[in-house]
Amino acid sequence: MVDLSRIRNIGISAHIDSGKTTLTERVLFYTQRIHRIHEVRGKDDAGATMDFMELEKERGITIASAATHCEWAGHHVNIIDTPGHVDFTIEVERSLRVLDGAVLVLCGVAGVQSQSMTVDRQMRRYKVPRLAFINKLDRSGANPQRVAQQLCDKLKHNAVLMQLPIGLENKHVGVIDLVTMKAVYFDGDNGEQIRVEDIPADMQHEAEAARETMLDAVSLFSDELTEAILEEKVTEELIHEAVRRGTLSQDLTPVFMGSAYKNKGVQPLLDAVTRYLPDPTEVENTAVDLSNDEAPITLASDPNKPLVALAFKLEDGRYGQLTYLRVYQGRIGRASSIVNSRTKKRHKVGRLGRMHASEMEEIEEAFAGDIVAMFGIDCASGDTFTDESIDVAMSSMHVPAPVISLSVKPADTKSQDNMSKALGRFVREDPTFHSGVDKESGETVISGMGELHLEVYVERMKREYNVEVETGAPQVAYREAIARRAEFHTTHKKQTGGSGQFAQVSGYVEPFEGGEFEFVNEVRGGNIPTEYIPAVEKGFAQAMEKGRLIGFPVQGVRIVLQDGKSHSVDSSDMAFQTAGRKAFRDVYPKAKPVVMEPVMKLEVESPNEFQGAVLKTVMQRRGTVVGTTEEDGFCRLEAEVPLSEMFGYATDLRSCTQGKAEFSMEFSRYLRVPGEVQDDLKKQFGSRVVVDDED
Amino acid sequence: MKKRFLNARSPLRLLEKGLHGGLGPGNLGVVIAAHGVGKTSFLVGVAVDELLREGRVLHVSCSHPVSHVRAHYDTVFEELAHEKHLENTGLIHGEIDRRRSIRVMPPGTLTPGALHDAVKVERDASGAPSLIVVEGLDAAEFTREDLQDLRSLARELQAELWLESSCADERHVSVPAGLEAQSDLVAVILALEPGDGAVGLRALKDHDSPDVSTLHVSLDPRTLLLVRS
Repeated sequence: MVDLSRIRNIGISAHIDSGKTTLTERVLFYTQRIHRIHEVRGKDDAGATMDFMELEKERGITIASAATHCEWAGHHVNIIDTPGHVDFTIEVERSLRVLDGAVLVLCGVAGVQSQSMTVDRQMRRYKVPRLAFINKLDRSGANPQRVAQQLCDKLKHNAVLMQLPIGLENKHVGVIDLVTMKAVYFDGDNGEQIRVEDIPADMQHEAEAARETMLDAVSLFSDELTEAILEEKVTEELIHEAVRRGTLSQDLTPVFMGSAYKNKGVQPLLDAVTRYLPDPTEVENTAVDLSNDEAPITLASDPNKPLVALAFKLEDGRYGQLTYLRVYQGRIGRASSIVNSRTKKRHKVGRLGRMHASEMEEIEEAFAGDIVAMFGIDCASGDTFTDESIDVAMSSMHVPAPVISLSVKPADTKSQDNMSKALGRFVREDPTFHSGVDKESGETVISGMGELHLEVYVERMKREYNVEVETGAPQVAYREAIARRAEFHTTHKKQTGGSGQFAQVSGYVEPFEGGEFEFVNEVRGGNIPTEYIPAVEKGFAQAMEKGRLIGFPVQGVRIVLQDGKSHSVDSSDMAFQTAGRKAFRDVYPKAKPVVMEPVMKLEVESPNEFQGAVLKTVMQRRGTVVGTTEEDGFCRLEAEVPLSEMFGYATDLRSCTQGKAEFSMEFSRYLRVPGEVQDDLKKQFGSRVVVDDED
Repeated sequence: MKKRFLNARSPLRLLEKGLHGGLGPGNLGVVIAAHGVGKTSFLVGVAVDELLREGRVLHVSCSHPVSHVRAHYDTVFEELAHEKHLENTGLIHGEIDRRRSIRVMPPGTLTPGALHDAVKVERDASGAPSLIVVEGLDAAEFTREDLQDLRSLARELQAELWLESSCADERHVSVPAGLEAQSDLVAVILALEPGDGAVGLRALKDHDSPDVSTLHVSLDPRTLLLVRS
């Protein structure tokens, strides 16, 4: 059985182009999982091992988080390579949920960028202890001290340098280890031969000062180390123990550095991963007890307890449908019987394996703390599996609703089947990606979290399923809502031929801020028999599926049913459902319907001299500037901008800042559109509703 | 309550009455209190009042990140909206957010020149502010030249410019020595002093008026919003 203290489940996470895929590639090389190094945009046509999807290879970005594992210093390390582009943050969030620790990769030149902030916020939310690795010290302009300072200032980390660089830019040759006080060089064609020497004489003084600063910061986490410092009896073990304590409590971020591309500094980082990041038993994981009103329970990383495992990622690969599982408690073996706690379906485990990007190594059994892949089991991302002796689910992961949609049509009829297959797979893999058929146009519509998000799936259809699709213009997912209370009194009566229909409902609707839909039954004295109340609610809910202002779903409405009438013969479920639908149709124009639009949180970082230009790009797009932070000649603008105004933003921003600005964007909330925009939308969607505007 | 009634009934009007018309465009004002009494909350209250009267506010902070300052404004607005049963809060909140700009400058970088540059960027993009709040930097640390420059900026924009200053004695606030010598450049100096059940607001300087005893307002000790006395 695996010694849990020797397992590390880690993520490598950072801003796009910080070099995290290159870093992962080097980790796999030094741990002898691969025997040749490929570059992200390699000339050898192989591409980095972790970027296994065709598209990622072409674009040089990581989209799906491939899981892999390696062995280092007697430890079993599972690595999830997380994507860096903001449109894929659900992937990052999902990965963070199953990780016990992470390496935050920062570019030694660009430092802490907007996406690093988003990722760091997510890590904080999931309480993931982290190490920092300042990469790209071989690039001109690299300055690890400045980046470490940014970690403190911008991300509010208690960042402590554990190393100093020996040379920078093209003179970068190694690092000084401030714990051992030795210089470490990386020789051989691929930096695989480590040479440890004395610190260069001209850096001795600087290294001593840096070590003192490090000891000062680290000793706060260990009284033994403080005492040892006073008595001048500091040992490496005491330092490691204190750093570990600080890291686990997330009060300290040890900072390492190097250049993955130039094969410098990766092995000491691996040592740090095994030394300072937690093993699965040191992280508290909770689930909800479905047999006890969803009361939270703490899981124990104990292989002898009942099984609890989370399916955190699905893929269709060369081995068929593949489910990535994180085992939180108990054990799972080949041929064992497991139950999906959502569907209550029982499954027999077929093949079980450890994934190394797209290659697999079969195993017989996996234990609490492990990350494994399972084959041939039909489930959705986020499902919990147990061994039937307990009925628990891992708490639900936050999944935002899609904010943009696109109609897709296969270029030829032959591709229809493949397109359906592809969409079915994408929907199962990615909870933020949706696909459906528009009832009116009959078109297939896909929806997701941003333009690029959908674009990537269209490309994947082409490459992986050989489906050429034609896409419509992107469509923002508007919502309708009401702005004031209004009363309804509606009768549905049909008594011409056959059995009659009669139902009468009265009450009022009012805005329900922060909620989607609430139905309150205040009918007293049985004026509407209880059995018909759900039918009224259903009627209202049906009518709200498509608002009459511009045809989008209505949300944020509280319906209060107060009175009504029924007929002993002619009333039925159907009659009350129709009355509910009619009542909503009658009352809607009186309740001042309004259009709501998705608003994105935008962060733009640019050199100070472009802040006026950047501000203008926001103002021109009906944006609201939240604030501006000036720092070190750079300026970070935070704003909220309607999604409908953000198409083509990247190009505009590039042209007005000479390509020196960058932005990140994520969904923030739905807000009411201004009057003139609402009028335009009504014209565009052909609204016929006459809004009763009288106050 | 509708917004126009809220404005007419705002306790800030009492402040203006007690101060011979308030701070007034083109003038510098300083609020002094001991650390933690609520200078920032008071100034955010003044700024929200200006925003509700269709004014434009530039809030410069040297001590807090944007999210923190924004949360301050949200809290003050929500408190006010709740207390006064303001109608259409969502819409009004959106409107005032659009007329407010928060700018965070690290300590040591806020100079009159930097503020001038920031105002220019704001003016070009969205319009000139009618009220500027500078928070997180002690007014007593400004040199005479700095304060002269700041007053010129306020005059040029015809904006009210509020600064803050700290003192050690919580209950008996006086003008710090560093500011005393420059007080001729400042039109209004207010003191915040915690008392029994409320925080008192007292004028230490009221334009050129020798009588500073006409101001009698107090602040809700929980929200630091002005209350009618």
